[in-house]
Parts: sequence; structure tokens; C-alpha cells
Amino acid sequence: MSQELIDAITDMREDDVLRITNELLNGGASPLDILNACKAAMEVIGQRFETGEAFIPELILAGEMMTAVSDILKPRMAEEAPGDKLGKIVLGTVEGDIHDIAKDIVVFMLDLNGFEVTDLGVDVPAARFVEAVQETGATIVGLSGFLTLAYDPMKETVAALRENGLNVKIMIGGGQIDEQIRDYTGADAYGRDAMAAVALAKEWVKES
Amino acid sequence: MFVRPDNWKELSPMERRKVRLDNWQNAPVQFMSPEAEANYKERIGRLRKIYDMEPHDRPIADGFMGANEYVVRRKGMNGKDMVYNHEKLREPLLEFHNEFQPDTAVSPLPYPGKVMDLLNYQTYIWGGQKLPDELTIQAVEGEYMMADEYRVFAADPTDFWLKKYIPRVMPALGPLAMLTEFPRVSENVDLIDMILPFGLPPFQAMLQTLMEAGNELMKMLGAVGQTGAMIAASGFPSMGFNIVKTPFDYLGDTLRGTKGILTDMYRRPNDLLAACEAYVPVLINAVVNASDRNGAPAALYVLHKGADAFMSQPQFEKFYWPTWKQVMMGLYEEGIVSYLFIEGSYNKRLQNLAEMPEKSLVCHFDQTEMGPVKDILSDKQIIAGNVPASLMATGTTDEVRAYCGNLMDLFGDAPGYIMAHGCYFENTTDDKMRAFMDSVKR
Repeated sequence: MSQELIDAITDMREDDVLRITNELLNGGASPLDILNACKAAMEVIGQRFETGEAFIPELILAGEMMTAVSDILKPRMAEEAPGDKLGKIVLGTVEGDIHDIAKDIVVFMLDLNGFEVTDLGVDVPAARFVEAVQETGATIVGLSGFLTLAYDPMKETVAALRENGLNVKIMIGGGQIDEQIRDYTGADAYGRDAMAAVALAKEWVKES
Repeated sequence: MFVRPDNWKELSPMERRKVRLDNWQNAPVQFMSPEAEANYKERIGRLRKIYDMEPHDRPIADGFMGANEYVVRRKGMNGKDMVYNHEKLREPLLEFHNEFQPDTAVSPLPYPGKVMDLLNYQTYIWGGQKLPDELTIQAVEGEYMMADEYRVFAADPTDFWLKKYIPRVMPALGPLAMLTEFPRVSENVDLIDMILPFGLPPFQAMLQTLMEAGNELMKMLGAVGQTGAMIAASGFPSMGFNIVKTPFDYLGDTLRGTKGILTDMYRRPNDLLAACEAYVPVLINAVVNASDRNGAPAALYVLHKGADAFMSQPQFEKFYWPTWKQVMMGLYEEGIVSYLFIEGSYNKRLQNLAEMPEKSLVCHFDQTEMGPVKDILSDKQIIAGNVPASLMATGTTDEVRAYCGNLMDLFGDAPGYIMAHGCYFENTTDDKMRAFMDSVKR
């Protein structure tokens, strides 16, 4: 695994990340090795986020660097076997709310941490969450909502998932979401940020 | 309208502040009864003492930043009504004030729905347009300034706004891009470039649209103004604000978008800093001019991307704080109070706020821990907040009472404190609103 690549990612040296990736590939490194270096770097950034040393700019820039690297690797990855996923998650911003930035960061961090995430987008009706869980067999649902108007749609979505007898764990998150709203909606947990969502998802798949 | 006294140049910032606040406090109101007049004077006098951090009988409870929709939703009004039907809001608003006798006037923001329709406004969607009638308004973030346009912006922010930003977010005003650069109009032949667009059909069609928009706005302001005057006449004062943002938030919220601005901190930091710097004199000038026009003694900052969760403290101190502080200091010199509506939390930024001169700020908190706020800021600045929107929306009356009671334990004796919500909410109950408003009267 290339420490040089890991350092370039964690130092947010975007140009170096692309240069090193190309050099490694031209030097015969396997795409999987490069991918593993990216994962190691993202673990460092995730830890820094948890300890308050990295913030949203670093998560967004890291996300863009990962996309750029995977665009380079994709044509050479056909023969690589996809790694086993930790679990399946359905995630979206609830009906009536069109905010996507925080949701996108959560999707990215979950994906990076080994989950298969179905992103339903924004303004998602409760019935669409139910359908998506039935289609994918997901065991975890994430509901995002930036505004206070998300409280009732979140509650309705949790109720719809339960009424349909779906055995899923539900997490909620957003700017005005707290324990009060977790209790109100009947969700299993709420998370303050993307790493909290990853921690919850990991804990839940371990339990199941 | 605010008219500077002849000795303005000799006045200190605090003396200028006093002149502006006196002008606001003594603005003429046609009261509906002697009782309403007495109530108004008592209420505005108390609010003034809070702003001056002078001894007064009790804090006030101000629902303006939280309950401004509930006051009409409780009578069945919806989002579309708040955007389009301003006359319809009058009765519920008067009823609310009569029934609750709040310390300050509380009403929804005056969203100009028909004007937004005419201009084909892109940065919001709203009830009755693309949102269901029940909902009010939501921002649609976009990249309205490209990464390679920073230098064009910094060279002349006003020209950029007029000829690039406005045409992009209000397509009906696209022909503004035809305008010349005004500072070069100096000789007689320069009038050709200056007036040419006004002779062209697309520009003339735009002028027609603007006149229609102007007529619609006047109708809306007539309705909103009449309601506001009736609320004041019934005895309820409101704080006068002009809304502003920090240079970083204008660039982030409005021009580059969240992803754009936060990655620009790494990709083009010098361009970003230069653009923030370029914004400082523009904003000071804009707020001073607006305060002179409408007599508002305070600037209301809606604060977004400087919150604890968005960026590190070194990033805040490099990108966000310096130019914002320059704007606030510029306004302080002109006697204008900066009212900070601090969304999210500012636990790490309190020492920065403490750098500001005494009484220059009202710090209105959302999720910030209020214990440190008391220790670090409450002797120097006016404090407001932080009853959670989640509690107002879904908690019990007892829980609201207990939360407000804790705030009163902390700030009841502070030199200047306003009980307020941390964030706006759509719905609560009358009982919870009463618990909130009565909490300051213990």
C-alpha cells in the first residue's frame, strides 16, 4: 500500500493524489492496492472528523478526490472482484424537504465504510422508502431532514416502515434533529454527523 | 428615514448608536387607544433598556425568530398564504397579538410571491409554486459564480451582481447583462454605451416586467404595511432590522454553493480571501444606506457556514471571521447594532465574539451551550436564545417551561437577555407558546 498516496489524500493535496495514482498504475500497482490505500486514508480522515481535527471541507474534498481516483481505476477494475459489503442501507431526505448536502456526505461516508447504499434523493415519500427496502432487502434506513418541517414526514415514514412489518433499524439526522425528535418519530437512533451514521450502522450490522 | 444630526462627525460610535436607537424608539405611531400607547411605550422602553444593558424589570420573550409562522398557522393559514395572500394574514395576526399580548410584534417574513413569479426567481421554491401549498419556502442551492470568476467578482462586486448573478438567478432580468460598466461613463459619447440597451426590445421588455413587479410589490407592501401599522397601533413594537450575511456566507450560500466554497478553501484560498475582502466595503455601505433609508438601528446576520460543525477554528479565523469582523466594526462605527442569528452551534467561536466592543452585538444562539455563553459574553453583549425548535414542536408544555426556567436561572439577572427560540418551527401549541412567553415574568 502506498504511504505516499495515503499522505497526499490526508494532507488534501488533490493534484498529488491524481499524479501519484497514475504513477502507481503505470508502475504496475494493482487497482485494488490503490483502492486499499484510499480506504486507509479515508479511515484517517474519518478518525480526524470524530476527534474534531477534520470538518466538512475535508470530507467534501476527500469525496471529490475519491471520485477522481475511482474514475481513473474503473476501466482497469473489471476483473477485480467487488469486496463483500457490510450491509444494505436505504437513505434519503424525507418528503417536503429538498436539502441534499448533508445527506450526500452521509451516503458517501457509509459507502466508503463498506455499506451498499441506495440513495433515494430528496423529497422522498414514505411509500418510496417502504418500496426501496422491499426491493433491496436493506436492514437499515436513514432519514435526513434539514428543516423542522421534516419532523412529521420522518414520523410518518417510520410508521409506514413499521406498519409494513419491515424489520429495519432506522436512524435520523439533520440540523434540527435531536433526542426529542428521535423519541417523537419513533426512530431507533439519531446521529449528529456522517461519522455518527457510520458508527450506528456498524453497530447495527454487528448486532444482527 | 434616518437623518443624521449636524454633529454626526463628532459623535463616538456609542453616541451614534444612541441617536439611531432614539430615532427607532420614538418613531411616530398612531395608537388605537391610550392603553395601547402606554403598553407600547412600556414594551419598547424595556426592549431599549435590554439593548442598552441598563437595569430593567425583566427580560423579554421574543417569538420573532421562531414562532413567526405559528402565529398564523394556528388559525389555518398555510405556506402559500404566507407567500401570496398577505391580506389574509392580517386577522390571525391581530388576533394573536390581542390574545397573547407578546412583548414584541411577531409576524411572518413578507415573502413577495408574485414578484418572485414575475422574475422567475431560481434560488428558492415556495408554496403554491413548486412546493405544496402547506409549505412556505426553501432555498435551492446552486453554483451561480464559477470557480474561475472569483477575480471578476473581486474587481467589482456590484457589477458582477448586476450583470452576472441577477441574470442567472432571475432569468427575466437577463438583459441586465447588456449594461455598460457605469464608472467609465464620463464623456458625452459614453452616453451611447450607457443608453443603448434601453433602446433594444429585450431590455425594454425587461423594464416592463420590472414595472409589473414593482406594482405587485407595492400592493404587497401596502397589505403588509397596514398589518404592521395595526399591530404597532395595538401596542406591540418591533425591532427594525436590515438583513445581511457575512462575506463568506454570501460567497458560499449565494454564489459558489456549499461544496464550491468549502473546496475553494483548499483549491483557491487566495481568490476566496480576496473576494471576501472585496465584499467588506460593499456590505458596510449597503447596510448603512439601508439603515438610513428605513431607520432600522440593527443589522440581522443569518449565519451559516462559520458554525462549529462546518469548519475548524483555524479555518474560521482565516476565512470567515476577519472580514465579517471588519463589516461589524464598520457598522459599529456608524452606530448600527449587529444582531447575530447563530444557527447550529458556536461553542468554539465565543472568544471571537468577545473581541467585539461592548453592546455592539446581540448574540442569538441556537444549539450553543449557554453556560459558557453566560461566562464569556453576557457582561458585554446582549444574549438571546436558545429554546429548541424540536422542543416547541414536539415537547410537552412542562418541558418547555422547564427549559425556559433553566435559561431564566442563567440569564434572568444578566444585563441584557431576550428569551427566544433557537430556530424557527412550523407548529407548536398555544399552551407551549404561553409557557415560553410567561417564563420571563416570574
